[in-house]
Formats: sequence, C-alpha cells, structure tokens
Amino acid sequence: MDMKREYYEDIELIGSGVVLFWSAAFLIFLFTLPIYMPNYYIYLLNIIIVNVILAVGLNILVGYTGQISLGHAGFFAIGAYGTVFLMTHFQIPFVFALPLAAFIAAFFGFILGLPALRLEGPYLAIATLGFGLAIMHVIGTWDIFGGRMGLHAPPLDLGIPKMGFSWVLESDVSMYYLILIIAVIMIVSAINLMKTRVGRAFVAIRDSDIAAEVMGVNLTIYKTLAFAISAFYAGIAGGLFAFVCGFFDPFTFNMILSIVFLVMVVVGGLGSILGAIMGATLITYLQYDLLKNVSETPYLGDFLISVSRKWFTVIGLENFGSIALGLIMIGIIIFEPLGMYGVWIRIKKYWMTWPF
Amino acid sequence: MKIKRTLFAVALAIVCIFVLAVDASAGRPGFDKKEIRIAQWGPQTGPAAPWGSVARGSAIPFNLVNEEGGIHGRKIKYFIRDDQYNPAQTKAVVKELVERKGIFAFVGGVGGACGMAVKDYLAKNKVILFSPSTAITEYVVPTQKYLFATYPLYQDEGSIITKYLVEKMGFKKIGFFYQNDAYGKNGLEGCKQRLATYGMKLVAEIPVEPGEKDLASQMLKFKKSGAEAVILWVNPTTAVISLKTCATIGYKPQWVSSNTLSDYPLMYKISGGLFEGVITGAFAPPPDSDDPLLTKYREAAKRMVPEERWGTFFMAGILFAEPLVEALKRVGPNLSTEACLKELNSLKDFKGIGPVVNFNENCHQGTDSVQIQKCGPGASYILLQDWTPNDLATWKKK
Repeated sequence: MDMKREYYEDIELIGSGVVLFWSAAFLIFLFTLPIYMPNYYIYLLNIIIVNVILAVGLNILVGYTGQISLGHAGFFAIGAYGTVFLMTHFQIPFVFALPLAAFIAAFFGFILGLPALRLEGPYLAIATLGFGLAIMHVIGTWDIFGGRMGLHAPPLDLGIPKMGFSWVLESDVSMYYLILIIAVIMIVSAINLMKTRVGRAFVAIRDSDIAAEVMGVNLTIYKTLAFAISAFYAGIAGGLFAFVCGFFDPFTFNMILSIVFLVMVVVGGLGSILGAIMGATLITYLQYDLLKNVSETPYLGDFLISVSRKWFTVIGLENFGSIALGLIMIGIIIFEPLGMYGVWIRIKKYWMTWPF
Repeated sequence: MKIKRTLFAVALAIVCIFVLAVDASAGRPGFDKKEIRIAQWGPQTGPAAPWGSVARGSAIPFNLVNEEGGIHGRKIKYFIRDDQYNPAQTKAVVKELVERKGIFAFVGGVGGACGMAVKDYLAKNKVILFSPSTAITEYVVPTQKYLFATYPLYQDEGSIITKYLVEKMGFKKIGFFYQNDAYGKNGLEGCKQRLATYGMKLVAEIPVEPGEKDLASQMLKFKKSGAEAVILWVNPTTAVISLKTCATIGYKPQWVSSNTLSDYPLMYKISGGLFEGVITGAFAPPPDSDDPLLTKYREAAKRMVPEERWGTFFMAGILFAEPLVEALKRVGPNLSTEACLKELNSLKDFKGIGPVVNFNENCHQGTDSVQIQKCGPGASYILLQDWTPNDLATWKKK
C-alpha cells in the first residue's frame, strides 16, 4: 500500500513510478484515440473533456473548499461569450482571448465569493443559483451578445490573424488535441494546487472554517480565491465549449446545466480530482449518448418501445434514457457515498491484495 | 525533470502528427437500394418537451408512404433523436446520425439555436435540412443550397394578422406586446409595416422578458392606452399571465396572438378557460377540419399511435414533411441529393394539409401564408380566414 514515511512524499506531484507510468500510458492512449475511434465520437469526447475541465474546477470549490455552487453555468457562459466577444469585437487572437475571458469569469467568481463569506449551505446554494440565472438573463437582453437569438463562434484560429499568421482548426480531431492539451495542463495544475499551502488551506476551510482561521488561514482571501479559481476553470471550459458547439444561445446555459455540473462532481466523488474526471465523463456520456440508439436495436428496441407506450407517456424511449440516468446517479450515491472515486479505491485495493 | 521533458517532447510530436492529419469525417450516403434515411431532432424530454410532438408527427406521412410500398421501391427509415432543446446535444445526435447511419435529409427540428448549431455542418455534408420548425430570417436570407423553409416568417404573420384586425374587424387602436428577442421583434416589424400602409400607429408597444412573472404595470399601460386589440408575440406562460392579469383589472381587449399559441386545448387548459375568444395566426388547419387529406392523416394517426394527442404541433410535423415526400416521389428511381434538390427547387403550388408551397433556385422560403383562427368554447377551433399570403413580404422581392 502507499505508505508515506515523510511529509515531502505527500506533496510530490506524482506519487510513484507506477502512477507516472500509467498516467503516461493513459495519455498516450488518449493522444492516439482518434486513430481507432470513429469520427462522430470525437465530438462527444470534446464535450466530455470540456466538462472534465469544468468539473475539476468545480471540485476545487465544492469538494476541497466545501462551498456549494449552483451557478457554474453562469461562469461557463461568461467564458463562452467572453472568448467569442473578445475575438470578434476586439480582434484578440484566441490564445489570448481564452485566458482573458477565463480571468473575467474568475473576477466574477471573486465577486460571488464575497457573499459566500457570510453564507453557508443552502443559503449559499440559493445565492449562487441566483447568480447563474441572472447571467443567463443579462446576456439574453444584450444585443451585442446576440440577445436571445444566440451567437456563432468565429473560426478557431490558433495564430495571430493580424500578423498574417493563422492556423485554423476546423475538424473535430484537431480541436480534440487542443482541448486535450489544455485539459491536461488544467488537471496537472489542479493536482499541484492541492498539494500546496493554498490547497491545504482550502481543505482546512472545508473541515472547519473556524479552526482554519485560528490556525492563520485568512478566510476572506481563501474563500474568494477558491471561487475565483473554480470560475477560472469554468471560464476556460466555457471558452472551449463555444468552439466545440459552434453556436449557442443564453438558454444553453440554463439552471439545469449548473445542476448537472454539480451532479458530475458528486457522482464522481467529492474532494478527488480523479473522481471529478470520472464523474464528468460518465454523466456526459449518459446524457449525450446512452440509449440514444436503442430504438434501432433489433428486438430490444421494439420491446422497450412497447413497454414505454404501455406504461409511460407517448414520448417513447427517451424516458428510459432519463430513468437510467437517474437510477445510475441514485445507485452510485446510495452504494458508494464516495462516488466513483470510492469504486476506484476499492478496485485498487482488491488488485493490490490479490489473490487474497 | 528529465522524464517530464521527454514526455513533453513525445506528446508534442504526436500532436503535430495528428493536428496535421487529414480530417476523414465524411457523411455516409443517405440512401441505398432499399431505404431512404430521414431524421429529425426534437426535445422529447426536458423543458421544451411539449414541442416534441412535431418530431413524432412527421412519422405519420413516412409510415403511410411505406405502407403504400415506399418511394420507387425504397422505404423511408425515420429516426427521431432527443436533444433536450440543447444545441450541444443537437450537434451530437446529428453528427452521430450523419456519420454512422447516413442521413439523406433532416425534416423539421425544433429550436432556433439547435438548428443554427447544425445547419452549416449539414450543408458541408450535403444533407438537406427541410422545414426547420422555427421561423428564423437567417434560414431564408441568404438562400442556402441545402436548406428549405416552410414555416411562415413572423414578419409575414404579423402583417397578415394586422391586416385582418384593421380591415375585417375595424379596430383603430391596436397594442402590441412582444417578447424582447428576434421572435417578438420580427412580429412587431410586420405589424408596423402593415399599419404604415394605413397611416396608422400602434397605441402601445411594450416589450417583455420571457421570464417576467409580474405583468401588472404593462397591462395597465395597455388599459390606459385604450387599445381595443392587443397582439401578443410572447411565449405561452407570458400570455397566460397577461390574460389573467387583465381579467383581474377588468380590461377586456380583443386578444390576438401569433401561431406559437395556436394549440388551443393546451392554452385553454393552462389559462383556466380565459383563452376562449383569442384570435391567432395558424400554420396548420384546425385539427378537426374535414379536409380529405387531413382526415386520412387523422385516421392513420389513430391507427398507428392511438395514445398520441391529435394537436396542432403533431400536425405541424406532418405538414413539414409532406413537400419532401412529394419531391422524393417526383425524383423517380434514380435518387440522388442533387436530383432531390432539383425537384425541390422546381416545386410549384404544392398543396398538402398546410399552405401552398413554392420553391425556386433563389428563394427557399416556401410560403408566406397563414390561416387566422379563433379559440371557441371548450377550446374548439373556428376558422376565420383561410390561407392568406402577405402582399408586403420583403423577402419575396429579393
């Protein structure tokens, strides 16, 4: 088992050679994925990775710092609209527009963090929920953001068009690599962050904010910082989402989306970066792809359609998609309170002690 | 550090290879000797689920064609995909269908943003997008090779309704209550354009945000303005709140609305009966009409999907699909997307259960006609005016 003998082992970025080996192997797998995966899945993968970035950020806030947020669709929207707006109106190249928009999101995160100093639990949930809804409506009333009609993302140009150097990513595959690289950077930064003084301060606030303050953690700074960092991640994710989707309107960033984000983190496992990644992957897959094809499956499809017609509404099989999604979420929460991360720990333990 | 650097270099090399690799995404052919694959996205679950019946309605004409032996020996295979009214999901289902199944044409498709998110992708893959179920100017101008629209534009509808109110009902004072977005503003534009030809002006034009729940001040403004008729270009919830608010302040104008509220049984139910007497535009004939073609569809629906409600949106799904089926029949046995486009472009005076549809090379907006109907007692449909085109339609002149 991973026993730690000294403190410095605990703050190492990569725990052991085994972890390093498998991480590298997994990364190489991800980088070669487009070779053996049909093209239409790449789009889904892009959405999944975008959600992974967001979930990792949200997990810093919810899982590590213990502050709830139901307003992350708002930051996501700021990232998406911000990036596109900066690119189309100020001709800022994508490479600068994306982080800039994320910083704008982070600024809003900081603002939202201020009431969080005095609010806790359900009250904080409602305050953040209000923020998410407000962003959606404010953007909807501004014609400069396309109003309620929505906005087209410009071509994704990695170069600097003004200086005559442009490198336009068009296909899903090329976008996949861009998003994957950004995701890897963001995830490694998140792992690293949690091993620093800042990360430990976040965890201390989660466990007991009074005790943390007594120990010298400045609550004002660290709580707002947690919101800002989390919003920064959401901003980056939003900016990438804008180009993956290509067109979006304010309604895309509705309240349900905020809740889905929270579900990803909770199902994945609170306070675990690996958990956030697994949660985002699972929930996005369930939402976008699960049972979407089942009606064309021979026998099973017809059978399910008849069951659905008889017992549910006329909609058809889409009911089963929603029901399955709900059941899987409930199942994970009931049987594995640590989320998918808990399942992972158990699998790891089983193999470590195998065959006993 | 050394390991990190090596890893980085390896990763970078891999990236370079794949970013530069040719994108092999190509749609599969949308038909073969046995079937023509047609699909539709639509919200079957989620907040916009009531509009999902459009997608299910389109299945009726396809099933009827299949029962008659298909089109020149090919059956129509029809796919419905739930996108929960979310453009990101629309794109996912559309890509999956086009690249895995191979789709000849998409029909209908609820959601403005959903359609906008995929229309360029579909054009790139040479898939026809026929009759998206939203009126958006960007669908029509400029004309796009693979996109055909049959949903009447809101400008045209606003204009036709206003003409009816002024000429047939003799209203002098008209107010306009519109949702503050493209939908509402387009309706308002049509109304004003029509009024200008009479030298008239609206006595009140008030915007509303879709989420607003307290409409008392707006309704009082209408009351003060003395509007005899108030035109609503809003969503169902806002309309119901408006009606209820006015009932409590004792203001009874003639309510008029766009076709988005033409599902009378639904509106009647959620407004607690206040919807009786409201005049609306309509893109489909009354559901209980005794038109022979409509009766045929109604009987077919009763037989195929007895549990489905025979309502306006379900019928919309049928009438969106009709012209495409007709064009496919005219193409003959040598089917190809180009041949189908050619037939669609030369479709003249096609009459299904909806308005007369015409396309040509330069104009892919098929119609500008709406009916005008009134909600009678018990949510019954009363036809006030049959299909009427808009003589002021701006897009026609282009």
